[in-house]
Amino acid sequence: MRTQLAMVIDSSTCIDCKACMVACKVENQVPEGYWRNWVKSSEPRYADVDWMDSVRPAHFQPGGCMHCSNPTCVSACPTGATYKDESDGAVKVNDRLCIGCGYCIPACPYGARYRHPTRHVVDKCDFCQHRRDRGELPACVTTCPTKARVFGDINNPKSDAAQLLKQNRSIQIVHESVNTQPNMYYLSATAPINWPVKPGKPDAMQFWKLINPSIWGVVGLNALGVLLMLGKQILMSHDKPAADNSSPEKES
Amino acid sequence: MAHQTIHRHTRLSIFMHWFNAVCWFFLLLTGLGLIRNDALQVFPAWPLWMRSVFGSPETLLLSHETVGIIWAGGFLIYGILLFRQEVIPFIREILTVEIPRDSLWLITKGIQMTLGYPALEKIAEKFGFDSRIPDQGFYNVGQKLFAIPSILGGVVIALTGFIMILSQYGTVAAELVQWSIVIHFITVGLVFAGLLIHIFMAAIAKGEQPALISMFTGTVPEDYAHHHHKLWLDEIRASDAAETSPAQGNG
Repeated sequence: MRTQLAMVIDSSTCIDCKACMVACKVENQVPEGYWRNWVKSSEPRYADVDWMDSVRPAHFQPGGCMHCSNPTCVSACPTGATYKDESDGAVKVNDRLCIGCGYCIPACPYGARYRHPTRHVVDKCDFCQHRRDRGELPACVTTCPTKARVFGDINNPKSDAAQLLKQNRSIQIVHESVNTQPNMYYLSATAPINWPVKPGKPDAMQFWKLINPSIWGVVGLNALGVLLMLGKQILMSHDKPAADNSSPEKES
Repeated sequence: MAHQTIHRHTRLSIFMHWFNAVCWFFLLLTGLGLIRNDALQVFPAWPLWMRSVFGSPETLLLSHETVGIIWAGGFLIYGILLFRQEVIPFIREILTVEIPRDSLWLITKGIQMTLGYPALEKIAEKFGFDSRIPDQGFYNVGQKLFAIPSILGGVVIALTGFIMILSQYGTVAAELVQWSIVIHFITVGLVFAGLLIHIFMAAIAKGEQPALISMFTGTVPEDYAHHHHKLWLDEIRASDAAETSPAQGNG
């Protein structure tokens, strides 16, 4: 079976230390004001009528690009600069093909993409490709003090990630409008879950999709017209040799 | 008299024509290969094929950008250096349209090309217009109607392309890049649709071979000029006469 790298997360062990965010930022030189990953938290509840029953501390949820199997960002990219790598199942950006148009940024329901302010291309988590190339785990996984993030090929039954998924119930976080089939699994339960946004398209992309058939249609119709004229010319040439040239000469 | 040839194109404008043609062909094929998106691409195999030919998608992009800069830069230099000699006369010529005469040309020529002379005469008789195809100048109005959007389109294509290149080397507002991609695509599509007709009319249509040959030799036979561009020929004869007659008067 094809490799599908994924992250299996036990968010109940997350202590909101944000070491994963720091490790990622340092490792990938993520510029100031931007993040490739995150720790989200649910709203704690303290005061209520029966407060002892309803007390609910905040729940922390580590996350990042979910390397979806149905990636809406890939569908939004006009050139294929954002693509699902068949070799490891990760969603990547070819930064030499990307021109930073940002069609993909609102297409991600998780806000996992940003336009890099100095490299002028779209940047996102690549499961620390450069670390994996030398046999290491992603920085966020290695650094996590409670080992909340478990990383591996979920299509390889021997991997820790696949074992955890097999032995536990898990959930994926999606927006109700589209099943992106994220490859980030949360064991048993997690919170918050209502934060993804509806995948959006920039006005320009919407306009392109709207007008695309017309443009191809105009080119196609003209091509058809030219072919018909060519056919007519070939078929009629035997009947009336040089008719086009002879007739107007008579006028003048 | 009929076998005499008349000068029509300068060497430089012939060079620019084929320079434009080669660049357009290359940029069209590579540009089409850059669109890799299931919702937008009509030929999904083409981008895969182009990327294989060029070795990688980034090489394809770089080649497209490089030739694009050469194309736009070539025309920029040409436009600046020959602004008075060639650009101004060319623009004046393509913008000179005489509506009654030229709309009649479009109607009669259109019917003649598609349905033939007998049909043209019948239709003209029925609707009460002159079946003779009106005389035309250096360019006929069909060529003018292709030239105007081609020039404007070329400017739009070059500017939007430049914005997209710039986007990789400096921060350009995302909306500007996003719209540039779409406008670049639409403009190329529309100009290419016209280009198909240009290629047919110039290189394939019967009776137009002298025009194609003139894009290499720079000259056309006099009978061709008389048939297709009579007003232009008349102008040349008038100016020739104006040049020679005072000399005769003095002599």
